[in-house]
Amino acid sequence: MIRINCPVCGLRNETEFTYGADANVQRPEMGEEDTQPWVDYVFNRENPRGWHREYWHHAQGCRQWLVLERNTLTHEIGSCQLARGVEA
Amino acid sequence: MAEMLSPLHTKAVPGRYGAAGNAGVTLSTRPIANLWQIAGWQGFGDAAAPVLAALGLTDGGSYRRSEQSGEVTAWRIAPDKILIEGAGDLSAHTSDDLVTLDLGHARAAITLSGPAARDLLMQLSAVDCTPSAFGLGEFMQTGIHHVGVLIQCTGPDNFDVLVPGTWAETVWEVLHDNALPHGLNIDEAA
Repeated sequence: MIRINCPVCGLRNETEFTYGADANVQRPEMGEEDTQPWVDYVFNRENPRGWHREYWHHAQGCRQWLVLERNTLTHEIGSCQLARGVEA
Repeated sequence: MAEMLSPLHTKAVPGRYGAAGNAGVTLSTRPIANLWQIAGWQGFGDAAAPVLAALGLTDGGSYRRSEQSGEVTAWRIAPDKILIEGAGDLSAHTSDDLVTLDLGHARAAITLSGPAARDLLMQLSAVDCTPSAFGLGEFMQTGIHHVGVLIQCTGPDNFDVLVPGTWAETVWEVLHDNALPHGLNIDEAA
C-alpha cells in the first residue's frame, strides 16, 4: 500500500490520489526551432529504475496538484510538495 | 427567495431499518445555509482577512480544524480556498484579489451519528476516524465510493458529510446500505 503525505490533508491512502505526469519534463523555449527538443517534450520519457519525480492530484481530498518523489522499484515515497511551490 | 429542495428529499424516509436491537447508526439530512467559497491567488491571506474579520473569524481555521463563530463555520479546504457556511450572501466581497462563489445549491449535507458511526465511516473511506485521530471540530476531505466529500466531526459520534449535490443520492445509498448491518435509524430532516 502506498501512503502519500499531502501537505494539506496529511498522510493519506494512495487511492485518494490520481497520477498526473512525469514532473521532470521541461518545455523547450518557445523560440526553439529544432524539432528534436519538441519531439522529446511531447513523446519521449525516461523510464528510470529508482527515484522519479511525478505530478499527482489529490482528487478525493484538497484537489491540489502535488510533486512527489516515488521509487519505481520499491514504491517508497519520498518528499511531497504542492506543485505550485516547485519550480518545473 | 426560492426554497431549496434537498436532492435527498425522496431518499431520507424516516424509520427503523436493518439489524434489530439498538440502532448503531442514525442518518438524516439538514439544510445547507448559505454555503459560499472564497478563493484567490498568491496573497490570498491578505485578501481574505477583511472578509473573515467581518464575519467574526480569525484565520478560517487550519486544514484539519474548522473555525466557528456563532452561526458561521469556515473550512480552510486548500491554501487559497475557504468554505464558509451560515454567513449569508458573500458576493459583495468579490474583488480583483478574491472570488466568491455560491455553493449552496451544489452541496447536500448528510448527518451521521450513533455508536457505529465511526465504524461506518472507516468502512467506507480510507481515513482514520477513531476518536483520537478525528475529534470534535476537526474535518477531513476524503472520498466515499469515489465521491469527494468533506466530513466534519460535530460531536463524540456525530458527523456532517458535505456531498456534491449530484452525487448525494449515491453517497446516501452507500451509507444507508452499509449501515443496515449496524441497525439504521433515519430521522426527520433537521
